[in-house]
Amino acid sequence: MDWFSYLASGIGVYVALAVFTLGMAWRVYEWSRTPKTPVRLALYPKPATRAGRLGKLLVDTLLAPQSFAIAAGIMIAAFAFHFAALAAFVGHLRLIHEFDFLVAILGIEGMNTFAAWSGGIAGIVMLVAVLYWIARRTYGPYRKLSTPEDYLLLALLLGIVVMGDHLRFVGGLHAETYQAWFASLMAFKPAFPPELADSTTRLALNWHMVFVNAFLIYFPFSKMTHAVGAFATNAVRSSE
Amino acid sequence: MAIKQTDAEKQQIATLVGVLDKRMNRQLKQYMDICVRCAICKDACHQYVATGDMKYLPARRAELIREIYRKYFTKAGEFMPALYEARDPDDNMLDELYDATYACTGCRRCTYYCPFSIDTGWITATAKGILIAAGRGNEILGQLADAALFKADNMEMFGEIIENGFKDIEAELREETGRDIEIPVNKQGADILYVALAGSHSIKPAAIIFDAAGANWTLSMFESANYGFFLGDPAKAKLIADRFMNEAKRLGVKEVVITECGHAYRVAEMFYEAWAKEKMPFKVRHILEVIDEYIKDGRIKVDPKAIKERVTYHDPCQIGRNGGIYEQPRDIVTAIAPDFADMTPNREKQWCCGGGGGIVAMEEFNAMRIKSGAEKVKQIRATGATILACPCENCRLQITELNEVHGLGLRIVPVMELVADAMASAGREPTTT
Repeated sequence: MDWFSYLASGIGVYVALAVFTLGMAWRVYEWSRTPKTPVRLALYPKPATRAGRLGKLLVDTLLAPQSFAIAAGIMIAAFAFHFAALAAFVGHLRLIHEFDFLVAILGIEGMNTFAAWSGGIAGIVMLVAVLYWIARRTYGPYRKLSTPEDYLLLALLLGIVVMGDHLRFVGGLHAETYQAWFASLMAFKPAFPPELADSTTRLALNWHMVFVNAFLIYFPFSKMTHAVGAFATNAVRSSE
Repeated sequence: MAIKQTDAEKQQIATLVGVLDKRMNRQLKQYMDICVRCAICKDACHQYVATGDMKYLPARRAELIREIYRKYFTKAGEFMPALYEARDPDDNMLDELYDATYACTGCRRCTYYCPFSIDTGWITATAKGILIAAGRGNEILGQLADAALFKADNMEMFGEIIENGFKDIEAELREETGRDIEIPVNKQGADILYVALAGSHSIKPAAIIFDAAGANWTLSMFESANYGFFLGDPAKAKLIADRFMNEAKRLGVKEVVITECGHAYRVAEMFYEAWAKEKMPFKVRHILEVIDEYIKDGRIKVDPKAIKERVTYHDPCQIGRNGGIYEQPRDIVTAIAPDFADMTPNREKQWCCGGGGGIVAMEEFNAMRIKSGAEKVKQIRATGATILACPCENCRLQITELNEVHGLGLRIVPVMELVADAMASAGREPTTT
């Protein structure tokens, strides 16, 4: 690995994962050690039972029906993005371990076609959603509400998605190549297989990883903590 | 380049940050950390919808506090203030903060629609604490809160005047109903302590209803209004609520019943025990819960066709979205008015009328406040109703003004007044159905 590859797709990945994990653990610890408000902040109506409250918490957090009712446009973009990101994340797990049961059903050719389509669609959906968000922030009436943090996060997401889409649509390399690189990462001996090391796609991957690492490192110190915090604040909505 | 701060400015900043630190709790911290500034709340706030003014956008109101929070409560904001727009509370910020927070009616409609349920009303309550520490608390609200506390501390001056006032109301009731309806005060062993507003309109109908139901009740010497709560000073708010809570303990009542007043119900039911750090030996109910029970149990008789005109009902935010009382008032109204038309949207989605949070007492917001009632006016018009049943004093004040400005031709009445009318007409003409 050359030094840039080593920084971006080798050691950088470990640093990013460590900062992300420890940072988020610290944030959650900070929340938990701050005393709860003693007053009752629920909104009504609210479920009477524990199970009901848990159900409402999940619906409110994962589906946000109230927000949909009042702001369909932004919520459609938000949902498209979050579900595409989830799909992309699940898709990437294939690089750690092949989904053998899917290969058994689809065959290896079929699996690659399925991955190309699902990954491609997710990648395009995320790209459109991020561009929509950037436009909404820049040209909407909310410009004054937006902070540099908002744009930085969107820039990082745009970088991740554009380079990811490049790997998907232009890179021309199949999953096995990336699986080999992932295996080397997990063995703590980061290295690119020859197909990757000798290809210009290497650069696209490195830039993809630069953005991913930066995003993960920044995550705990940004509004991205909503990924965990939203469960806690939505629980208060239905609390006793 | 940063402008050098004077020692006085540094001291003020330290004080304001100290206030935020003292008020910090898990929920507030999470509300500070996780807002993504999606601005979905813009369509939820009647003030932003009516004015389009950024300072009334709920996320922007909260963002001002977040800017201080990020600078003094997060390492990232301390080291990279520009990235997070973290900054000191200077005069410019405090000016905007004043408008953004004292204008907020605390209706929490934005909380209802927020994907993370961020409680901007709770954040603006904290912001008021910062403004008070900066010597920028609202003066009128402060004076009204102090007047309430002065009265409590000097009952030897006021007790007789208040009791004479109650005697006058008894005389009025005798004249109007032809019956001797007692208004008991300081009655040891009463079941109910009824906390009314200053003014006979919140005492007379309740007295008629309690009397007819044969309730063992007593009237509080103190009114329910709590300007300490509106001011944003929890210590004063608690002292003001202490007046009737201590009275309830002294008299040994089973329940405290709050009159048709939104914030007083929320103070007594949602906040008081947490402030007092003790469990009260009685429960707290809203008068409409009690009246609904009396009607359903047959303890009072009402004429189901007493009100011929079309009636609609306004959910005050503090007893509706923030208090959970939706159905009892509707059941009462439909029990006495055959032509009931609900507003759209209603219940938890109800638009704030624009009169909450003590805003009706603050003249500087008058023009904006009237403008912010636009959605309510549209809702009321669409029902075609000529009577509005409205169980909150501040909502009634606001909607009465909207009624005049927009020529709605509406009669705005407390729900219990309609009930008292329906009881009178049940007495006059026995119903056959």
